Amino acid sequence: MAGLLLSPTEKIYILHGVQDDYRSDGRTNIDYRPMELETDVVSHASGSARLRLANTDILVGVKTEIDVPKPDNPGLGKIDFFVDCSANATPEFEGRGGEQLANNISNMLQRAYNSSQAFDLKQLCILEGKQCWKLYVDILILECGGNLCDAVSLAVKAALFNTRIPFVKAALMDGGSVDFQLSDDPYDCKLLEAGTAPLLVTLCKIGDKCVVDPSAEEESCSVISLIVGITGNPKYYSKDAIETPNFKCKCSTIGMNGPGSVAPETFKNAINQGIIAANSLDEALGRALLRERQECNNFKKNSYGFLK
Amino acid sequence: MSGHVTIRLASERVNHCVASSNELPRFYTPGEVISGMQDFMRGHGTYVEDDCIKSSVAGVMQKVNKLICVRPLKSRYVGEIGDVVVGRVLEVQQKRWKVETNSRLDSILQLSSVNLPGGELRRRSAEDEQMMRKHLQEGDLISAEVQSVFSDGSLSLHTRSLKYGKLSQGVLMKVFPSLIKRRKNHFHNLPCGIAIIIGNNGFIWMSPQQQNIVIEENKDEIENYELQPISKSDREIMARLKNCIAALVASKMMLDDSSIMFAYEESLRYDDVKELLDPEVMLDIAFLTQHRLNSIMEE
Amino acid sequence: MPLDYRRFNGPEDSIPYNYYTKEYLKSYHELHRELIDENGVRKDGRTLDEARSLCMFFARTDMISQAKGSAYIELKKTKVVCSVFDPREIMHQNEFSALGQLFCEVKFAPFSCPRQRRPHAPDAEEKALSVALRKALEPTVCRHLFPNYQLDIFVYILEHDGACLAAAINAAGLALADAAVPMYDIITACSLAVIGDQMFVDPTEAEENLAIMNPEKDGINNGLITMAVMPELRQISDFRQIGSMDVNCIMKATEVLQKECEKILPNIQQILVLNVVNSFEQQKQLEKEAKEREAALNAKMEEWKTLLNAG
Repeated sequence: MAGLLLSPTEKIYILHGVQDDYRSDGRTNIDYRPMELETDVVSHASGSARLRLANTDILVGVKTEIDVPKPDNPGLGKIDFFVDCSANATPEFEGRGGEQLANNISNMLQRAYNSSQAFDLKQLCILEGKQCWKLYVDILILECGGNLCDAVSLAVKAALFNTRIPFVKAALMDGGSVDFQLSDDPYDCKLLEAGTAPLLVTLCKIGDKCVVDPSAEEESCSVISLIVGITGNPKYYSKDAIETPNFKCKCSTIGMNGPGSVAPETFKNAINQGIIAANSLDEALGRALLRERQECNNFKKNSYGFLK
Repeated sequence: MSGHVTIRLASERVNHCVASSNELPRFYTPGEVISGMQDFMRGHGTYVEDDCIKSSVAGVMQKVNKLICVRPLKSRYVGEIGDVVVGRVLEVQQKRWKVETNSRLDSILQLSSVNLPGGELRRRSAEDEQMMRKHLQEGDLISAEVQSVFSDGSLSLHTRSLKYGKLSQGVLMKVFPSLIKRRKNHFHNLPCGIAIIIGNNGFIWMSPQQQNIVIEENKDEIENYELQPISKSDREIMARLKNCIAALVASKMMLDDSSIMFAYEESLRYDDVKELLDPEVMLDIAFLTQHRLNSIMEE
Repeated sequence: MPLDYRRFNGPEDSIPYNYYTKEYLKSYHELHRELIDENGVRKDGRTLDEARSLCMFFARTDMISQAKGSAYIELKKTKVVCSVFDPREIMHQNEFSALGQLFCEVKFAPFSCPRQRRPHAPDAEEKALSVALRKALEPTVCRHLFPNYQLDIFVYILEHDGACLAAAINAAGLALADAAVPMYDIITACSLAVIGDQMFVDPTEAEENLAIMNPEKDGINNGLITMAVMPELRQISDFRQIGSMDVNCIMKATEVLQKECEKILPNIQQILVLNVVNSFEQQKQLEKEAKEREAALNAKMEEWKTLLNAG
């Protein structure tokens, strides 16, 4: 999202603010703006979530289909990400305008979910070497107010957490082909384990320091941003928290965006900052999701959807 | 707001409505008949059909003598002569600047309607034309006054007063123009030590109060002054003001110096400025401000 | 390669025969054992922290005579050719762009990879590599000198045996310098594969493959990093990581890569200097020859003159 014009003095004001660790709306360099989350918003998807962060609005739907596993990884399922920048968000996305941005984001996600420590594809296996589940994660960008990557990764994780896969009652080889039965009861399904799914944190370099969750003004002050994908901690995502003593968050992907470059020192600081930010994001997301699930169990949840 | 991240659920969504004491005006929707044609004139937002004046937008009717207008709730800025506006220079053209002022068409600032350094009244030379970009370049923010309105509705601005001109370090906020209350004065030095320009066009500019620098000082010194970092306390107050205005806007409350100052004072009960980003806190501030405004009205 | 995009290319459902060989069925540990022995020597005889660029760095410029600048880099079995063309005006653009744009394209030769044959149409990996290459080169080119212009950089990977992005960036940097495109700094890049606690500098394809394979033991570090550096300015222009690593590992890898990238710098400088020296020598040689020819001609003329006079 470029194109916002700022005067040099406004940029200086923002730059000094970042240096002081006090941004123009009172946040520090690792504070996010408040977000709003709702899961289970699309009735025909196996799992869905909608996330709103300031002016950015993301809708994610997960569809499950059956596929044949890759010959390299017979025991693993598949996951694919598609990003759609609708022209509703900004007129710039019209036609093929948003294609590059969409490709960037889906590439980043694909790389972040590549490692087994980030997302275990074994849980999508039906019959090794023969059949597996394939998750199509479709991401719709309804409104674009900056910091897309972070919002998308949060929404994807929430949608995966919300995804239900039908139970396979029986799977057997019948001659050369596979034959399996699914449960007829739509409520008889298993939830995905998405606790370790990675979150992307965009660190926007302004001056020598980096900020998370940049506003549009801040984004236009920066020539380079770092995107760090950090795996989640499953303890935030289950009620009976099993404390794994030496659990360590890992980087599952790092990438850069923008035409600038960065000094090695700044780079290292940024990664550390990204890990702290990802950790607090992860904790907040886990808490919110658990709270929503609780609500869901206690009484019939109202769907709020898009009406405000 | 504790910690660095807050994620709320849709079920906890805050309704930003604040009850106001004013009675609700009559709303008109497009195609609705306002009155018979007899002795009224049609203004903006209306059209005539079958001898009736009908509304063409959804909004509130305004009647000035015999002229009937309908003002939409959400509209771009419609300029009037004498309005104070804040705008951003988009383009440097032949003898004029193109300025974005949130109105339908970009506004124009003629080279002849700015004060150039060295003498209030002097002829604009060809040299001045070449130096235009030195004076104001693309992206610069200015405060200005609407000098005249062209026939197509675009505005001609002027900055021929010391209070107008290029803006230095500070924060710009964009709000709906219809939320700005028209006042005699739109330049305020708030008691908290911040200067604020509430542009009629919905652009609000906040900056620290100037320490009376003499304009005639040599240029380098001014530039140097522009680059000085702003103190942390000023920065904090500006951030607080910004969030307060955002809170008032979220609740669709009218903005002027008193409502902003009330909101600021009410917000002081929250120590941390970033707490004001929380929707519940925003509603609280808007509510308390409305309360204070009501009590003043009663007096 | 001309490709008719309008024609529907059916799915290529043939699979390489390697899937049926014994080689393919090896487990993670077998593969790992194969790559490195107990003494820490890799399959191709290098130590862990030894890049191919140090033992064998073959690179040349002027590979493609019709391009403005071109370069060829060979790291044992990784072979990359890059060409840079004259800047040209950006077509079909209505907005003025103050900074020149780089257009990068990375293409694998269909037979470049050991496993699958590469399709002609650009696939996702090629697109991602092209984006990474552009990102790495953007900070170093003085783009303000080419307003509204576009610079085409094409990289063709003839043979892929690991570290192809690093090789592509190095080749592109060299080709840009050869094309006399103004640059702030030379750009160098290096890759690193992490498997457990071992860091394979400048990995081969087999090592890369193992690094992104999911280890059987949970919780260990694995992955790939490619970093591009501007050595004089001490700036990182691109950093790409995949896999899963903890912070310490990344920090350590960054330092290692930075050192490796700095080691490549003299090699590239040498080639560029040698080019200049060679062209000077060539010029001298040409001038010398021209002089000789002229002297011979003069001598002939004298001879004829005397012959004429005599006649």
